[in-house]
Amino acid sequence: MLPNASGKVVVTVGRRVKTRVEEEGKIEEINVELPHEDLPPWEEKNLVWVGKGIPRVDGFEKCTGKAKYTYDIHLPGMLYGKILRCPHPHARLIRLDTSKAQRLSGVKAILSQENAPPIPWYNDSFLFDRTLRCVGEEVAAVAAVDEYIARDALDMIEAEYESLPFVVDPEEALRPGAPPVRPGGNLLDGKPIIYSRGEIEQGFDEADLIIEENFSTQVQAHACMETHGSVVNWEGDHLTIWESTQGVSDVREGMAKALGIPISKVRVIKDFMGGGFGSKTREGKYTVIAALLAKMTGRPVKLMLDRKEEFYATGHRPSSLQYVKAGVKKDGSLTAIYLRSIGACGAYETPLFPSKFSMIDALARPYRELYHCPNVKTEVYPVYNNIPVHTAQRAPGHVEGTFALEQVMDQAAHQLGMDPIALRMKNYALKDQVEDFPYTRKALDQCYQKGAEKIQWEKRNKKPGEKKALICEGIGMAGQIWGGGGGPPAYAIIKINQDGTANLLTGTQDIGTGSKTVFVQIASEELGISPKDITITLGDTETTPYAPRSSGSRTVPSVGPAVRSAAADAKRQLLDLAGSILDSKAEDLAIREGQIYLKNNPTRKIPLKEITQKMGNNMIMGVGSRGPNPPQAAINVFGAQFAHVAVNTATGEVRVLKVVSIHDAGRVINSMTLNNQIEGGIVQGMGYGLMEEVIWDKGTGIMLTPNLHAYKLPTMLDIPEVVPGVAEGSDPANNIGAKGIGEPPKIPTAPAIANAIYNAIGVRLKELPITPDKVLRALKI
Amino acid sequence: MKGFTFHKPRSLKEALAMLKEADGKAKIMAGGTDLLGAMKDGIMQPERLINLQEIPDLANIRPDNDRLHLGALVSLHEITVHPSIQKRFGILAQAAQEVGSPQLRNMGTLGGNLCQRPRCWYYRGDFVCLKRGGDQCFAVTGQNKYHAVIEGGPCFIVHPSDTAPALLAMDASVRIAGPDGEKIAALEKFFMTPRDNVTRENILEPDQILTEIMVPLPREGSRGIYLKARERRCWDFALASVALLLNIDDGICQEIRLVLGGIAPIPFRASKAEEVLKGKPIEIELIDQACRMALSGARPLASNAYKLELTQALIKQALLTLSNK
Amino acid sequence: MKEKEGNKKGKQLSSVSRREFIKGLGAGALGTAALSGGIIALKEAEAHPAEESLEEGIKIPLRLKINGIRYKVEVEPRYTLVDVIRDQLQLTGTKKACDRGECGACTVLLDGKPVYSCMTLAITAAGRDIMTIEGLASGEELHPIQQAFLENDAFQCGFCTSGQIMAVNGLLKQNLNPSREEARNALAGNICRCGTYTRILEATLDASQRLRKGGGNRG
Repeated sequence: MLPNASGKVVVTVGRRVKTRVEEEGKIEEINVELPHEDLPPWEEKNLVWVGKGIPRVDGFEKCTGKAKYTYDIHLPGMLYGKILRCPHPHARLIRLDTSKAQRLSGVKAILSQENAPPIPWYNDSFLFDRTLRCVGEEVAAVAAVDEYIARDALDMIEAEYESLPFVVDPEEALRPGAPPVRPGGNLLDGKPIIYSRGEIEQGFDEADLIIEENFSTQVQAHACMETHGSVVNWEGDHLTIWESTQGVSDVREGMAKALGIPISKVRVIKDFMGGGFGSKTREGKYTVIAALLAKMTGRPVKLMLDRKEEFYATGHRPSSLQYVKAGVKKDGSLTAIYLRSIGACGAYETPLFPSKFSMIDALARPYRELYHCPNVKTEVYPVYNNIPVHTAQRAPGHVEGTFALEQVMDQAAHQLGMDPIALRMKNYALKDQVEDFPYTRKALDQCYQKGAEKIQWEKRNKKPGEKKALICEGIGMAGQIWGGGGGPPAYAIIKINQDGTANLLTGTQDIGTGSKTVFVQIASEELGISPKDITITLGDTETTPYAPRSSGSRTVPSVGPAVRSAAADAKRQLLDLAGSILDSKAEDLAIREGQIYLKNNPTRKIPLKEITQKMGNNMIMGVGSRGPNPPQAAINVFGAQFAHVAVNTATGEVRVLKVVSIHDAGRVINSMTLNNQIEGGIVQGMGYGLMEEVIWDKGTGIMLTPNLHAYKLPTMLDIPEVVPGVAEGSDPANNIGAKGIGEPPKIPTAPAIANAIYNAIGVRLKELPITPDKVLRALKI
Repeated sequence: MKGFTFHKPRSLKEALAMLKEADGKAKIMAGGTDLLGAMKDGIMQPERLINLQEIPDLANIRPDNDRLHLGALVSLHEITVHPSIQKRFGILAQAAQEVGSPQLRNMGTLGGNLCQRPRCWYYRGDFVCLKRGGDQCFAVTGQNKYHAVIEGGPCFIVHPSDTAPALLAMDASVRIAGPDGEKIAALEKFFMTPRDNVTRENILEPDQILTEIMVPLPREGSRGIYLKARERRCWDFALASVALLLNIDDGICQEIRLVLGGIAPIPFRASKAEEVLKGKPIEIELIDQACRMALSGARPLASNAYKLELTQALIKQALLTLSNK
Repeated sequence: MKEKEGNKKGKQLSSVSRREFIKGLGAGALGTAALSGGIIALKEAEAHPAEESLEEGIKIPLRLKINGIRYKVEVEPRYTLVDVIRDQLQLTGTKKACDRGECGACTVLLDGKPVYSCMTLAITAAGRDIMTIEGLASGEELHPIQQAFLENDAFQCGFCTSGQIMAVNGLLKQNLNPSREEARNALAGNICRCGTYTRILEATLDASQRLRKGGGNRG
């Protein structure tokens, strides 16, 4: 087994099978080879490293400022790139004069539609297009000896535009006669995305109670601390790209395709990166522009977006308008759920999730999956409008959909006089009703129970808003379902060195979640070598085998099993070697904490080092791959969150005092990084719930919030106490028993807060974010 | 940020000479936390920058018998930690604590906080609005949840300062130096509405420098409070704020100065509310009446009417707190 | 570029500052007071007589003391401190994330106090004590604040961490034993988009304890 040119390991002996793989709700059936060994689950009682909250293996670099982010790469002779962007929401570029900028001392190249190759981008658009469909679209770019000159040069480029009719508001964009954002109408593919099971009308007929509500959710920015960007260097025909990305392999393939060069000539490196949250899954226009500028000048080019560009040009969580109608019987059982929703695509379709996979439809999934309900219909209208294109953001769709669905459930419980948890248990789904598969594991009931205990659920107001006071407190909850099962393909290699240390290589990336540490722990566990003796290399397409982009909470459940498989392969070879040296059978030997010992007599042991020293320059190289997912089964992460809030009824200010967050994510590999993920998801979810909002001026298509004071991210003073936790046990879905936790904690945060506000003041807040103006308005009604 | 020539005067006299010589093409810099942002955003492109940071006298805190003299370059952080300011001029210390973030309070100055430009997202954004020489206020028909509910028009900015309402409540005055010498102006006369001049927010001429803020010692028994409602707890401007100085003797309101922030293009003195309470016993009914009167004449835009209730709520809370109700 | 000249002296860079400068001279109104007051651009101009070309600007030699080391750099007046320490001195631990003093990633200590280096002109930092993240650890040995961050997992992506640690360092220089509330207030000017605030707070209190045991914050 050797890496081929694409970096993917070709398994020459394995059988191939079909398996079902999910990413951000997009399910695909792929063909995959079986790993050489079907590893049994770890024995819980014997675990040494897995489950421990060990500090991160790259913590030293992060604490000392030594960690090199793309933004920190500095190459000799490096130029700085900057992009000129369109100031109009819809326009045709009719004249571009770069001559003044060309003459500015220090300017080395200018790129535009005039001299750039027509590289296809988005629907039927190009890298530089004469038709521009939103403020912020790329018009030209410069490379100069420093950033200040590059900016000066942009100011000297003269661009003349012909204005075209435009529409910013998604509802207006759907109306007949609305200005066309692009040829073919403003509705994606000309029709809504419809899902239906059972008989919706019959379901409503059977209901004793019908709940009907309208909800709206805002545009949320990713606001990565490290902006998107690249540093690009050509050495002959070999292209090296440092990219702030969640997917080095995707950038490699995308760049090879865009530039028309072999994949083998492209190397993508991402050592450290400053946040992605779904927005950094592939190459950007800036990456291609940097590569072209570097080619033109023969010098390395660094092109990092500034904060304003980060808001405009890197995607966002789309807004939604949701009309929900739900029918329940007196005993609480759901008879029908109907959703009609409008979501704003922006000017284009997001490339990774086209047509029926549109992320605009992702918000309908919780309606289809979270509860047992025989009659469900979702009808989603993805609409084009003249704002920048949306993209995936941490639990795309589920965050928006769950905000509305879980308030409807809360409302139903209130109107039926039921405990909201009891209502949820009444409608507990035992299988995936869309695919008609059983879940590999679902411990949501445990999450409800544990969470209720920790928040002291019984202390909530029995009647919402029953206490009249200046400051009213309340407790609310919400649940969540997410994918996060991961799957193949993913590969890892482990090399054992003469001194008993090991190198672990895999083409995944650590986007801040702690995956470097988690994979070292997995390898340590399987190999019996301490984490301090394992060095991991990832985020480099040249030196590591393929692993998928870090999205969809898939990194640990996709790559972790491949790492374990590689470690098992290396261990097998190590024990073979040990057996030959010790004159015992390999199967009688085991490794633990750096010692090789006899299984039936653990006191007879020898340090691993003494065995490996005898290898000389012979190599032990363990190779592992991610096996298929279990057939005919759905793998999902579940969870429940509880919020305790205080509402100032005079000023409308909401403080979140405490959030309890319990998830079924399978086995915990590192308890500290897992808790950190949960806490972080809640902070982002709270920002979404209470303060973050991208706002456009509808009259001009200009964003009003492209900075970090108008766009409000939570600060140290805004955050609640967080009590993270998990449902005990592991998931049989893969050989490490783990599922993803990156996205789930964000999902139920805003609805838990909204339900807690309802519990506090007896008024339902159905528009996000829940700012003081909305609370005051709602209290007035 | 466009290039500029940098000037580093060592005295106020030098600074004034440089400013006069620049003939309107220079900006003075105190902490720089607002100015540099505006320059980076291309809202201002001065040809020269005159840095006041190295003029020693401008950063002094000097109490005398009946007033506190604060140099315009005193940092906001110093104000929050200065023991006698905390003790005798509590509203100011509270207000300064609400400004920006810890770093901004270390860098930003009191003079800068009074002279900062508005945070209207049209003015700060890519819009040629009235304030930037254009012919319309985009907030009128646009997104206006943060805009003025009173004294607005033709431009609807709100004054962003936290310290201005506090200083106004304490009846502060400012010393202004110019080519023809110094003058002292009551802070109440310092700010200008858009009707007076839409391109600026105060009376400072381009060749003048605000050098000192003087705050009279509140009379014995006076109490003060600064309250601010906001969407997040740090680095956020007021949706509405209230600075209140109150002197109650024998249950009677002897003195009241009530100033509102975040709701008008200037720090807004709620004289009508003051009149309701002055010379009368502080009672709940009167407090409610004062709250109602505070913003009488307000004309909210499409999305900012909530500020009326919000402001009333803050006023009530301030009055109740200071009168121990 | 430690203790040696950075780029070649003089003229590079943008048209604008050069033009302004020439205009300034042409106006002939720079009085004696102004001269003694030290118009930095003028001093530089004397060394480099005005040229007609508008395409070139002026750079000014500047000495910066960072982490106890004196550096010589050349800057235009408009260069911000963060750009100079990152791009010229390659002290890249300090990050620029908003460039408007709104996020704290660029936090450094200036005379011991946390400031946003993206909103500080490099030219105004001359002669002052600048401390960046690179000045905190001694070799491979972490400062107690860094050790506390590591052990409390007080970061995820790590991009804001240098700024967070400098804000904590500034706090613990002023107040070695902050209350939870004092710490929260002091650290509110630093955004962590990954949302690790609770851990940063715990790390701060942990570091405070370590430093008190160790006899103070010498960071």
